[in-house]
Formats: sequence, C-alpha cells, structure tokens
Amino acid sequence: MTKFIFDLDGTITKCETLPLIASHFKVEEQINELTKATVAGQVPFIESFIRRVYILGKLPASEINELLSGVETYSKVVEFIQQHKENCSIATGNLDCWIEKLSGKIGCECFCSSGQMENDNVIKLTRILKKEDIVRKYKDEGHRVVFIGDGNNDVEAMRMADVAIASGLTHSPAPGAISVANYLVLNEVALCRQLNQLL
Amino acid sequence: MQTAKSVVITCAGIGSRLGLGTTKALIDINGKTLIHWQLDLFKDVEDIRIVVGFEANRVIDEVRKYRPDAIFVYNHDYFNTKTGTSYYLGAKDGNEYALEYDGDLLVHPDDVQMLLEKEGEWVAYADKRSEDAVYLSLNEKGEVTGFSREHGDYEWTGPCCLHRDRIQYTSGNVFNVLEPYIPLPGVKVRACDIDTYGDYQRAIEFIKGWK
Repeated sequence: MTKFIFDLDGTITKCETLPLIASHFKVEEQINELTKATVAGQVPFIESFIRRVYILGKLPASEINELLSGVETYSKVVEFIQQHKENCSIATGNLDCWIEKLSGKIGCECFCSSGQMENDNVIKLTRILKKEDIVRKYKDEGHRVVFIGDGNNDVEAMRMADVAIASGLTHSPAPGAISVANYLVLNEVALCRQLNQLL
Repeated sequence: MQTAKSVVITCAGIGSRLGLGTTKALIDINGKTLIHWQLDLFKDVEDIRIVVGFEANRVIDEVRKYRPDAIFVYNHDYFNTKTGTSYYLGAKDGNEYALEYDGDLLVHPDDVQMLLEKEGEWVAYADKRSEDAVYLSLNEKGEVTGFSREHGDYEWTGPCCLHRDRIQYTSGNVFNVLEPYIPLPGVKVRACDIDTYGDYQRAIEFIKGWK
C-alpha cells in the first residue's frame, strides 16, 4: 500500500500554528526571537522545540487546542485525506494536547510529540516526534512511503521516503527540503493531482 | 480516448552551447520567454510537469506566473545527466502516457494540437534545420528505425510519447530511451530546436505569425 505522511503546519493548515498561538497569548516577542535564531542556524531544531514548549507549556493547553481547532485548512488536501484515511497520516512535532481537536477534524492517524500535563499546563516534555521514525516504520511494514512537507524538520523524513513532495502551498519550502525533494507543488490542485497519481 | 497524457517539459540543462548566459527556458523570443511560449502550446493540458535543475528557482518563478498548477520535478543530478534522465524522472509518477517535450523546442501550435490528439506511442521529427542535430531514419511504413549523429532522412527534434512503464532510466538522451522500442510510429512536425545562437535566430523567424 502507498502511505502518505503529511506535515501539518503550512502543508494541511493554511498558516503556521506557532505564530498563531504566540499572537493569541501575546508571547510573540519571545517566540519570534527564538524562531529567528533557529532559522539563522544559531539554535538547533530540537533545542528550539524544547525551549518553545517551555514558553508555551505555561499557557492553558485546552485554550490552545480550541484555538488550533479553528485554523483554516486546505480543503482539497483534507478531502483527499478523508477519502483515503487508510493511506494517510499526519506527522507533526506539535504536542498532542495542542492539536487533538484539529487532527480529530482532519480524521486520519496523527503522530505527534507528547507532554505530561498538570492543571492544563505541560509540565514535562515526554516525547519529541522524529518524523523519519514514522517513514521507517511504514517502510519496514513493506509500504511505499510518500512524504509531503516543507520544513527543516521534514528533511530527514523526506530523504528516507520513497517519494518526497516539497509543499510550497503556504510559503517557499526550506532549502534543505528542496534539496531532497522529488517534486515541488505550489498549490493544492497540483498537490492533489500528484497524490492521486501516486495512489 | 486514452487517459489524458502528462506533458513533461525538460528544462533542467545548462544550455551551454547557446551562449546567452541563461537557462534556455528563460531566453526572450519576441517579448516572451521560451517556457512561456511552450506553456501556451499546452494550455489545455491538465498535467504539466516541468523538470528543473540548473537555475531551478528562476524557471519555477517564471512558470508559476502562467501555470501555478504545474508539478515541478527535480533532476538534482542535471550536471551529469541528460534529457533522457529528465524524461524518466518527469514521467515516472505521472499519467499512463507521457509526452516528452524538450525545453529548447518550438513546435507549430497546429502540430502540437495534432500530437496531443494522437493516441499511443509515437516519435515526432522535422525537416533538417538545426546546426547541431541528431538525425533519424524511416522505413517504408513511416516508422522511425534509428537515430544517428552522422546521417538520416530527417532531424530528430521530438516530441515523443511513450507508455510510462516503458520509460527506463538512462543518463543519456531521450533518443536513448526510445532506441530499445524502435520501430515506432513517426509523425512529421514543423519544429525548431534551439541549441546554438544560429538556431535562436531561426526560432525568432519560425514563430512569426503565432499568437
């Protein structure tokens, strides 16, 4: 079977969720500084993620969950996922407690990071998703794996996948993602056409 | 009718023989880039697949103005490979039949329309015209029987069309992809490919009168 693994932010959703949370809770300054340093390569991705959770973990998780459930998604992409639920999954570094409602709406299996909760806050990060582990799992099961992503944290998964699609639906994919991609698509018509061709 | 064809436009190369200092897709011909002329020829085709390599971002920026729904296919090893590789990469996850169209080629719009309607596999050729060409020979049935750099009845210009599953990997040219399957039905077209500056000047003449 062909397994399609989708990055969430900017690939299924029409915006990145992190700036949305930051703006809603007015912690943009801290988050922007961290994002800038990460993009510039001064802070490694994993460290950046841990520091991000440290900032956002103090915010009410249920409110983040609610906020993200209302995020706009690419309707044709979601439609493809819903028509082929058995073939599709989401791989996102986001915490389960933040995206539970959103992933529930999309309706396919979702692999994400996890945290330990106390009083609606994340008190400890317990698992950071490595997207390439999901690719490896499906390949070991004998599936052909297609990975659709756009960010630096998608690069290893894209490199390992049988087919890597760089998604430029929301913004230009990271150069690292482009360097391992077989395909680049710039709108959801192109993406869905390629997905259907790969079924 | 067969399932709609994919059209694979191969634009990955460096275009070093032309000497205009830019990838061929972006050269200006009567106020339009070459790739723009080509996209206009295929404006009614759904599955347009552009194989990119050298100056990929510039080609992508130009194509997206006219066909934001194109699928871009990367030939990352464009320096060491040729158009045959790009055809293979462009076709392998596309529709059942893949029409290959060289990024340096102009075919008369009426002939393009005729080719799009032609079913099955075929190879298109033209009267000898370019300075640095590959030639082909035909048998009495009008089938293409061989390719040669030295001699032949006509100039091999492309396009061509093969079933996706028969397009095998090669680091060579598109005619190397076709060779195992000859004889193949031949179709004569009015075409002009642009390898040298002389070809470029001929192309400008060739398209006079096109819309």
